[in-house]
Amino acid sequence: MNAPLRADQKLVIEGSGKQTFELARTRVLIAGVVFALGFLTVGARLVDVTLLQNGREPRLASAPPAAALEMDRANIVDRNGVLLATSLSTASLYANPNLIIDARDAAAKLAAVLPDLDRGELLAKLASDRSFVWIKRNLTPRQQFEVNRLGIPALSFQREERRVYPHGALTAHIVGYTGIDNRGLAGLEQSMDEALRRAPEASAPRAKTGEALQLSLDIRLQHGLRQELQRTVAEFDALGASGIVLDARNGEILAMVSLPDFDPVDAGTAEPEQRFNRNTLGLYEMGSTFKLFTAAMALESGAVGLHDGFDATQPIKVSRFTIKDYQGKKRWLSVPEIIMYSSNIGAAKMALAVGGQRQRDYLGKLGLLKASTVELPEIATPLAPERWRDINTMTIGFGHGISVSPLHMAAGVGAIASGGVLHPVTLLKRPEGVAAPGQRVLSPQTAEQVWGLMRMVVEKGTGKTADVPGYLVGGKTGSAEKPAGKAYRKSALISSFVGAFPMNDPRYVVVVVVDEPHGTKQSHGYATGGWVAAPTVGRIVARMATLLGIKPQGDKDPAQRELLLVTVSTGGKKGAPF
Amino acid sequence: MASVLDITAPRLSPFEKLRQINWTLLLLIGAIASVGFAMLYSAAGGSWEPWAGRQAMRFGVGIVLLIVVALVDLRLWLQASYFFYAVALVLLIGVELAGVIGMGAQRWIDLGIVQLQPSELMKVALIMALARYFHGASLDIIGRPTFLIPPLTMVLIPAALVMRQPDLGTAVLLIGGGGSIFFMAGVRWWKFAAIAAGAMVAIPTGWRMLRDYQRQRVLTFLDPETDPLGAGYHIIQSKIALGSGGVWGKGFLQGTQAHLQFLPEHQTDFIFTMLAEEMGIVGALGLIALYVLLLGHGFAIAFRSRNSFGKLLAIGLSVNFFLYAFINMAMVMGLIPVVGVPLPLVSYGGTAMLALLIGFGLLMGVYVHRDMRIGRRGLGDDF
Repeated sequence: MNAPLRADQKLVIEGSGKQTFELARTRVLIAGVVFALGFLTVGARLVDVTLLQNGREPRLASAPPAAALEMDRANIVDRNGVLLATSLSTASLYANPNLIIDARDAAAKLAAVLPDLDRGELLAKLASDRSFVWIKRNLTPRQQFEVNRLGIPALSFQREERRVYPHGALTAHIVGYTGIDNRGLAGLEQSMDEALRRAPEASAPRAKTGEALQLSLDIRLQHGLRQELQRTVAEFDALGASGIVLDARNGEILAMVSLPDFDPVDAGTAEPEQRFNRNTLGLYEMGSTFKLFTAAMALESGAVGLHDGFDATQPIKVSRFTIKDYQGKKRWLSVPEIIMYSSNIGAAKMALAVGGQRQRDYLGKLGLLKASTVELPEIATPLAPERWRDINTMTIGFGHGISVSPLHMAAGVGAIASGGVLHPVTLLKRPEGVAAPGQRVLSPQTAEQVWGLMRMVVEKGTGKTADVPGYLVGGKTGSAEKPAGKAYRKSALISSFVGAFPMNDPRYVVVVVVDEPHGTKQSHGYATGGWVAAPTVGRIVARMATLLGIKPQGDKDPAQRELLLVTVSTGGKKGAPF
Repeated sequence: MASVLDITAPRLSPFEKLRQINWTLLLLIGAIASVGFAMLYSAAGGSWEPWAGRQAMRFGVGIVLLIVVALVDLRLWLQASYFFYAVALVLLIGVELAGVIGMGAQRWIDLGIVQLQPSELMKVALIMALARYFHGASLDIIGRPTFLIPPLTMVLIPAALVMRQPDLGTAVLLIGGGGSIFFMAGVRWWKFAAIAAGAMVAIPTGWRMLRDYQRQRVLTFLDPETDPLGAGYHIIQSKIALGSGGVWGKGFLQGTQAHLQFLPEHQTDFIFTMLAEEMGIVGALGLIALYVLLLGHGFAIAFRSRNSFGKLLAIGLSVNFFLYAFINMAMVMGLIPVVGVPLPLVSYGGTAMLALLIGFGLLMGVYVHRDMRIGRRGLGDDF
């Protein structure tokens, strides 16, 4: 029965008859076609709904895309993107006195909601016959709400921006501040005013593109530096202090603090001393720290070798000046000893060996004779002698008779630390993967010799308090008497320390300058660089190292000791003019 | 029934019949149901609970039922057709009464363990009863208008009952499935035309009798976009979901419209939308292709059957299945108003699944007994 139907097999349809059966077959076909069409319709509609229609909700208005945010000034951020300056949208209240119906009533109402305004002044403003008077700038949202509720038709609001500095005084000298019209008045806000308003390509305002101005500063280092400087100022009852942390390999300023400082939001009420940026605007006779340059140029020029020496038994008398040593050894000193014991006599003789012209050339190459190229508007041009006589050469050899800013010192020592290449200092983050601009001013050999001298100062000389175990700090102390008129004040010092680390391959330069510190019991009454600035640098280095994740090195590692070993031979003899 | 059993003793042993099972048909059913499991798994946010697991269990039970139904002698089903119809009708009326007592729409009878939806059973029972009625009827007999009154009544009573529930979708399925058997049996074209014309005439008359709010409902029903947050919400969200699927879809378990609850009833009526959103047009067309293959099989079985009852039964069941699939897919795409018809074998729902599988069991039975001759009265005179 289940055998397949054969073609020749005659179908025998019972009862209902063959006719019905045939009809049914036809109709099955018809139904099949109808349903095939049905599925075709569904399939076509599926394609239509899925692919051809755009699946948006019909009859719902499409909202216009949100307008691009337009701000007047771009943000300023640190190298890690931490916000240093930003703009908030505020409203400023102004009035058209011509439209005021009842000036007395309006003044009373306004004074009620804005209690810090004087009612009499308000009345005078509102009763004037001008058509525009500012009532109050930068209202809070609540104040704006209250004023709106007064319903005085002549009052209007102007959308404005208010600059906000989340870190307050921390970066005040660098970021600067703006005036009430949102124009930069100081710091980068002033010098980069155009850039903050325009995109780098100048095609669209920078603020519209939302791209922030990124600084080289690291706000963490900045904070650490400021705290340590504040501590030093408090401890030694100093007038002020300044400090710089510089990346010698590319000239980026990682931190720069000048004390006393001020709140940039309230810059108008700050004292001039507070607004004064000691790092860039302050010119100081740096004193002994300059001996590093003298040694570097002496070695570089070949005027002296590392093992040569100078007679430091007698003070030098030139016309009315006497050059003498502080706690002098009164004997022949080798070049390392001159640096280590900070001998003025030795440095002066070394400078003479270099010669005035060459000294001037080297100082020029180190950028110490012209204004810094840093992006701040507050920069000063160093004070150097017009006529470069021998006496000038000698005093400059130990850092007197020439005034430079702490930033100059940092940049110059940076050239030594980087192995002889001077990178222009900058406050803007250098693009990654691009070699920083730089100019070779010293040979790598000379630089390495000076590294050894710097390390020696901290290891054995005047800068022992700057040492941080494991970080091979090197540097030079300086204690210059402050000039008062034509003489020097013995009791008023500029105490400084110029350091770098790690000295086997230095990268970071730390400069601390303290203005008029007073000796304490702990410092045995001393207020010199070795007692005041060097320990500050030590603390800063210790903080930096942990922040930047720099691994400590074994101080006892013989290879490194070898590298930095400077033979302190007492008194090789070299013919010298004195 | 004992006497019937004696007469219609099967010529084939159950084992021989088992060898006649159409495995392709089973495979297609299994494939479509598996799509359903996957989508229910996704609809629950990647979980067998609460839908996919239960659906699979019911499917397993249903497949056993399918084979049992297929192996039972077709003549026995013919004999039992009117009885089943009567049972389904009683249940349907029971639901109606319970609904009246319960003061609301009710489609369920709670049997304690299982909740039964009589309208689903009626779909199968009606087709069986009509196939039985027209079985062996000659064209002369069918041509008599009086002959058509009993089957018309058989269709309209349950249709009216489910319409009152209100369940327009099932009513359409009943009328469509029933109508297809009238058509297959050879009722003249003009009679269909006359009924259609009568319905057309009745529409304006009925429209005038409706109250304003009722008319508003009908209008929204016809154009859901006049009420995007109310009656039109389903279909608009559904179209958004379909459009967002694109060619390849958002990926399994990734359909936002469904998972974020924008799409209502995504485990039942709108599961096809979910499929299209997650699997894209490729997945949706794939499912349609499976339906077409399954339907084609149903038609082939009808074509091949050498007895009138089997032919009519196969056609009625196939058409019923087609209408199921077509109405659901057309509905979620906004081709026709939303009437609440699930997607056969895919949507979550126990009774529907069982009813469908029983229907496919009958279809399989028609195939197994394709060469059997059945007399006018269903007696076993098969040569």
